[in-house]
Amino acid sequence: MIKKVFIFVLLLGVGSIFLSLSDNFKEQKELKGIGRYYAENAADELGAANLVTAVVVTYRGLDTLGEVSILFLTSAILGFILSLKKTGSEDDKQVFLPASEILVTASKVMIPIIFIFGAYVFINGHLTPGGGFQGGAIIASAIVLSILAKPESKISHSFISTIESIAGIGFIGAGILGIVLASGFLDNRIMELGTFGTLISAGAIPIIYIFVGMKVGAELTSILVNLKETKNIE
Amino acid sequence: MVDPIHIISSALGVAFAIGIVGKLGKNVTIAVMLSTLAFMAFISLQWFMAFFSGEQETTQIFTAGFKPPISINLQMGFNEALFTLLVNVVGLLGGIYLIDIFKKQSKNVLTVFLVLIMGLNVIIMTRDIFNLFVFMEIVSISIAGLVFMDENLKSSQAGLKYLIATSVIAGMLLIGIIFAYYFTGTLNIDDLIATNLTTIKGGGIVVFLILISIILELKPFPANGWALDVYESSTPGLGAIISAAAATASFFVLSKVMDIAGQEWYYYISLIGAITFIGSNLLGLKQDNAKRLLGYSSIGQLGLLMIILGFRDILGDQTPYVIFGILVSHYFAKAGLFWLSGIVKAQKLTDWAVIRKKPFFLFLMGTFLFALIGFPPFPSFFAKWTLVMELVGSGNVTWVIIVLFGSMLEAVYLFRWFGYAIKGENEHLEVFKIDLHKMIPVWIVALALYAVGYFTAQMTEVGATINFIPLAFVGVLLAIDFLPVFVKNTIAIAGMLLHFYFVYPDLDDIRLLFEVIFIIGGALALIAGYAYKGKRSGFYPVAILMYAGLTGIIEASTTLEFFYGWELMTAGSYFLIIRGKRSMPHGLSYILFSIGGAYALLAGLGMAHVGHTTFGMDILNNIQYLPVWAYALIIIGFLTKTAALGLHIWLPGAHGEAESDVSPMVSAILLKAGVFGLVLVLIGMGAENNQYEMLTYALGWLGALTVILGSIMALFQEDAKRLLAYSSISQLGYIVLGLAVMSHLGWLGAFTYVINHFLYKFILFMTLGAVVLRVGTHNMYQMGGLIKRMPIAFIAVLISIIALAGIPPLSGFAGKWLFYNALIAKGWYFQGVITFISSGIAFLYLWRLIHTVFLGQLKDNHRNVKDISIWFSIPIFVLLIGLLTFSFKPEWVLQPLGNMIAEFFPTGQLTWNGGTAISQYGYWSGSVLGITIGSIFMLILIWLLVSTRKAHKVKQFDITYSGERPERPETTHVAYNVFEGVYKAIWIATIPLVETFWTRVTNLLHDTAGFTRRLYSGDGQSYMLHIVVFIVITYLVIIGG
Amino acid sequence: MQYLTLQNIGFATGFILILIGIWGFLTQKNIIKIIISFALFDTGTHLLLVAVAYIKDRTAPIIDSSVNSANAVNEIVDPVPHALALTAIVIGLGITALMLTFTLKLFKHKKSLDITKYKDLKW
Repeated sequence: MIKKVFIFVLLLGVGSIFLSLSDNFKEQKELKGIGRYYAENAADELGAANLVTAVVVTYRGLDTLGEVSILFLTSAILGFILSLKKTGSEDDKQVFLPASEILVTASKVMIPIIFIFGAYVFINGHLTPGGGFQGGAIIASAIVLSILAKPESKISHSFISTIESIAGIGFIGAGILGIVLASGFLDNRIMELGTFGTLISAGAIPIIYIFVGMKVGAELTSILVNLKETKNIE
Repeated sequence: MVDPIHIISSALGVAFAIGIVGKLGKNVTIAVMLSTLAFMAFISLQWFMAFFSGEQETTQIFTAGFKPPISINLQMGFNEALFTLLVNVVGLLGGIYLIDIFKKQSKNVLTVFLVLIMGLNVIIMTRDIFNLFVFMEIVSISIAGLVFMDENLKSSQAGLKYLIATSVIAGMLLIGIIFAYYFTGTLNIDDLIATNLTTIKGGGIVVFLILISIILELKPFPANGWALDVYESSTPGLGAIISAAAATASFFVLSKVMDIAGQEWYYYISLIGAITFIGSNLLGLKQDNAKRLLGYSSIGQLGLLMIILGFRDILGDQTPYVIFGILVSHYFAKAGLFWLSGIVKAQKLTDWAVIRKKPFFLFLMGTFLFALIGFPPFPSFFAKWTLVMELVGSGNVTWVIIVLFGSMLEAVYLFRWFGYAIKGENEHLEVFKIDLHKMIPVWIVALALYAVGYFTAQMTEVGATINFIPLAFVGVLLAIDFLPVFVKNTIAIAGMLLHFYFVYPDLDDIRLLFEVIFIIGGALALIAGYAYKGKRSGFYPVAILMYAGLTGIIEASTTLEFFYGWELMTAGSYFLIIRGKRSMPHGLSYILFSIGGAYALLAGLGMAHVGHTTFGMDILNNIQYLPVWAYALIIIGFLTKTAALGLHIWLPGAHGEAESDVSPMVSAILLKAGVFGLVLVLIGMGAENNQYEMLTYALGWLGALTVILGSIMALFQEDAKRLLAYSSISQLGYIVLGLAVMSHLGWLGAFTYVINHFLYKFILFMTLGAVVLRVGTHNMYQMGGLIKRMPIAFIAVLISIIALAGIPPLSGFAGKWLFYNALIAKGWYFQGVITFISSGIAFLYLWRLIHTVFLGQLKDNHRNVKDISIWFSIPIFVLLIGLLTFSFKPEWVLQPLGNMIAEFFPTGQLTWNGGTAISQYGYWSGSVLGITIGSIFMLILIWLLVSTRKAHKVKQFDITYSGERPERPETTHVAYNVFEGVYKAIWIATIPLVETFWTRVTNLLHDTAGFTRRLYSGDGQSYMLHIVVFIVITYLVIIGG
Repeated sequence: MQYLTLQNIGFATGFILILIGIWGFLTQKNIIKIIISFALFDTGTHLLLVAVAYIKDRTAPIIDSSVNSANAVNEIVDPVPHALALTAIVIGLGITALMLTFTLKLFKHKKSLDITKYKDLKW
C-alpha cells in the first residue's frame, strides 16, 4: 500500500514536470524555424513533393542512416543471440500446425500483390505519403504471410543478408557520392532533380528510398525469421 | 586530410558489407573489421595532430550540403579529435583483445561492435540534438546486445535491465527534444545555446529533461544499478569498452550539451557529481567482485569529472588540462584493468593473488591502480594537483574536501585489492594462460600511461621543471630485474652515490644534512643487500623509487616538485613495507595514512599558493590565505610520516614486519622525510610570529604525549622489532617536541635527535634484523644467550642502546641535555617532566634487548648460529664509528648545526669553549664526559673481573619443571612479560584508544556502505524506480517544485 | 474552453500515455507487461510529436494538387516532427524487438517472466 501511494506521488511528480512544460501551450498559428524553411524552400531545393521525405532522406539523412543502422543492429543482435548455443538435437525440430486452406490459397494471390504494393510505396516515397520504411514494412508483411501459410518452409538467411548488405552498401555509396558529386554526405542532388511531381524527380531520393526499402524489408524479414526459427521453449 | 564523415561511412559501409564479406571466412572478416577500426583511429589521429600543431581550425562538416540548422552538421575541433581518438584507439585495442570471442561467435557480433564504435564517434561529433538521440540509442542498443557475447543467466538479466533503463532515459530525452523544437523551431545545439532556452517560459523544463537524461546516461549514484550489473556480468573486453570508450563519449556529450543550460546548472552538475563520486566509492568499500568493483570505480571517476565540469567557469583555462589528466588516466587504467581481469580470470578480489605468479602482471596492475589514485608520474597526479590549486584558489575549500575524501575512499578499496594481489594466499590458484592478442592491448595502455604522464607534466610551466631522471633510473632497474642481486645492488649504490655527487654542491646546509641521511644512509643500507642470494625480484626498483622520492623532496624548488617527490617516496616505501612476510594489513594502513596525509598536505599547499603567482618553495614562508589552517594541514600531512600520536598506528606493524634491511630504511631514513617537511614549514612560520603560538603549543604537547605513549607501548612488546618500532615513535616525538619549542636550543636538540636517531636506530634495526635472519624469530623470549654466538651484534646493540637511552657519555646525552635546557628556557615544565619519565621507561625497554636477546641461556636450536652477516656488519660499523665520533667530539657536528640554526633562531645560542658547550643553565663537554665515564667504567670492570674470578658457572640444564612440560613454554622464560608488574600500574596508558578510534571509523564507513548498497536489490524494477525518483527529486531541487 | 484544442488534446493524451507507461514500469512484475508499458510510453512520445507539428486547419506537408506550392508555408503542418516521428517509431520498434528477444533468452534460464525472480546481480 505504501508503495502504491509512493508510486502515485512519483507519478504526480512526473506529471507536474509535464504540466509545467505546458505553460507555453498557446495554439500554434504559424510555422517557425526550420519547419518554415522547409515549407518555403524544400520543394525547390530538393525537388521532392513530399516534404517529410525531403527532411527524412536528405536534410536529416544522417538520422535516417542511424535509423537504418538501428534496425540493422536489431536484426544482427537477434541473429546472434537466438543462434547462441544451438544444439543439433531433436528438440530443435519445430512442429507446426498446418495452415488453413484459405490462408494458403489467399497467400498465393496476395503475396505478389503485397510485394508490388510495398515497392510502389517506397518508389513513390518522394511524391506521396510513404517511403522506404513503410514500403519495407509492407514487404516484410508479405513474408509474414508466407510464413503463416507455409510454416515449415525455410527462408535462406544468406539470401536475406546479401540483400541487406547490398542495400546498405548502396545507401552508403549514394551518401559518399553526395560528397563527390554534390556538396555533402547524403546530398540527393547527385542526379538531375527532374520535373517536380513526377516519378523520376527529386534527384537521388527515389534511389536512396529503394535501398532503404530493400534494407528495411530485409531487416524486418530477418528479425521475423529469426524469431520464428527459435525453438519452442516448453 | 580524410573527411571525418568517413569515420561513419567506412564503419557503416563495412558493417553492412559484413553480410557479404562474412562469406569469405571468419579470419578475413575480423581482419577487415580491425582495419576499419584502425582507419577510423587514423582519421582521428590525423585531425588530432593537425589541431595539436595549431595549424588547424575547428571545422564543420555539413551533411546533405546545407548549413545548420537546415541539415545535420558534425563538428571536428580539438576536443572532438581528441575524444574520437580515445574512442577509436580503445575500439581498435578492444577489438584486438576480443579476437578470441569474435572467432567463436557469429559474424553479427563484429558488425555490432563496429556500429557501437561508430555510434560513439557520432555522438561526440554531432551538433544536432535529435541526431544525438538517435546515435545514443544506437550505442545503448549495441552495448545491450554485446552483453550477450558471453551469454549466461547473469548477463541476460543485465542486458535486459540495461536496455529497459536506457530506453526510458532516452524517452525522457526525446520528450525534452520534442519540446525544445516546439519552443525554438530548431534542433541544432548551437542554435539552442544561442536561444537561451532557460529564459523562455517552460524552456527551463526542456533543459531539465535534456540534461537530466544525459546525466542519467553517465550513471549518477544511486540511479545506476543497471550499469553496475552490466559491468559485473559482461565479458571484460566489453567492460573495457563501456568504461573507457562509452563513458568518455557520454561525458563529452554532457560537456557539449550543458551549454544549453547556462551557468545556474553548473552547480547542480557538480553536486550530482559529488554525490556520485562519494557514494560510488563508499559502496566500493564492500565490494569483493573485481569487475563490479571496477564498475563502482568507473562511476566514481565519472562523478569526479562531473564535479570538474561544473567548475569550468572557475577553472577557466585549466579546465581542459584537469579534465584531460583525470579522464585519460581513468581511460587507460580502466581499460587496462578490465582487460587484465579477463586475462587473470579471477572473480573475487582475494583470488587476484594469482597474478603474482607472473610478476610483470603485478607491475601492470600496480601501474593502473596508481594511475587511478593519482600518483606521479601519471596524468591524474598533475590534474589533481591543478584542480586542488584552482579550487582552493577560488575559495572552494569544501569541494576540495569532497574531492579528496572521495579519492581517499577509492584508494582504500583499490589498495586493499592490490594488497591481496601482492600478499594474498595463492597456493591453491591455478596459473592463468596468456594470449598474445590479449597481452598487446594491456601493454600498450600501460606504456601509454607513462608516456602521457610525462607529456602532461611538460605541458605546464611548473611541471616541466620536474627532474624525471631518478624515475628513469627506477625504470632501468625494473628492466634489469632479471639480473642477480649483487649486480643490481652495485648499480643501485653507484647510481645513488653518483646522484649525490651531482646534487650536493647546490644544497644549503639543512638540505645537505637530510640528503646525507637519505642518500648516503640509503646507500649504506643497501650494502646489506649483498647478503641476499638469488634475484630478490622487485626489490631494487621500489627501493630506488623511495630514494628518488626522498631526494626529490630535498631538491624541490617548487611545491609541485616537493609533492611529486613526496608521492614517489610514499609509493616506493609502500612497496618496500609490503614486501615483509605478514605485511599485508600494515602495508594497507601505511598507504592509507600516507595518502590521507598527502591529501592534507596537498590541500595545505593549495592554500599556501593563494595570493602567489609562482609555486616556489618560498611561498611556505608567506601564507596569506587562512595561514593557521594552511600550516596546520601541512603539518598534519608531515605528522603522518613522523607517526605522531593518533597517526602512528601504521608504524609498528610496518616497521616490525618489514624485511631485515628494509626496517632501517623505513625507520632510520624514511621517517626523516616527515621531519624535513616539518623543518621547512616551521622555518616558514618564522621564529617570532605570535600568530602561530597555539599551533606550536599543540604540536609540542602532541610531541610530548607521543614520547611517553611510544615508550610505554615499547615496554610491553615481546617482538624485538616492534619494540624498536614503538621506540621510534617515541624518539620522533622528541624531535617534534624539540622543533615545536621554536628556539635555538630546541632546534639544536631536535637536530641532534635527528642525527642520533638515524645512527642508533639504523644500527639497532640492522643488527636485530640480521639476528632475526639467523635465528628465524622476532620474539625475544625465543632468543637468549646470543652473546656467545654473536659478539659483534652484541657490541653494536650495546653501544647503540646506551646512546638511545641518553646515558652519558654517548651522544644521546647531548640531545637530552640540549633538550631539557630548551624546555626549561621555554617554560614547558610539564612537557619536560613527561619526557623525563619517558627516558626512564626507555631505559627499561632497552635493557630487555641486551638482557633477553644476548644474555641468559642459549636456546637449543641456536647452538650453531653464526654471527651476523659481514654485509650487515659493514654499514653497522661505519655508523658505529660515526656514533662514537659524535659522542666524543660533539662540537664537530653541533657547532656547524648551531651556525645553521642561528640563521633562523639567532638568540639563545650555545657558547663554545673548546669542546665545552655552555648554556644559561650549565655546561657540558663530550670529550671530558667520555673520558671520565670511560675511566670509571674501566675501573669497575677491572674490579668486577678481579672479584668474580672464583665464581663458578651454572650449567644450562640445572633446571626442572617437575617433570611437566608447561602448556605455553614461553611463560616459564625469565624474560617473558617482564613488566607484568608495571603493567598493573599503568595499564590505563596502554588502552589502544587510537586504534579503537580508527577501527570505529573504518567500521562506520563499511556499515554505511553495507547498508546503502542494499539499494541495489537486483530487482530490475527497483532500478527503474531509482531513475524516476532521481528525476523527480532533481526536478524538485533544481526547478524548485 | 480555449484550452480544449485538438493540439492540447494530443499533448494531454501523449502525456497520459507516457504516465501510464511509467506506472507500468514501476508496478508490473511481468516482463512482457513491462515491455508493453514501454510501448505505451513510446507511443505517447510519438503522439507528442504529432501534436507538436499540428496547426489548425492545415494539411499534410505534401505538395500536390491540394497545396499551392507557392503558398505552402501557410497551408501545411510542420514536416519536421513527422520526420522525427518516423525515426522514433523505427527506434521504438527495434528496442521492443530486442527486449522481447532478451526476455526470451531470460525465460529459458528460469522459466519465469516475473522480473523479481531475476535478482542474481546485486549490491
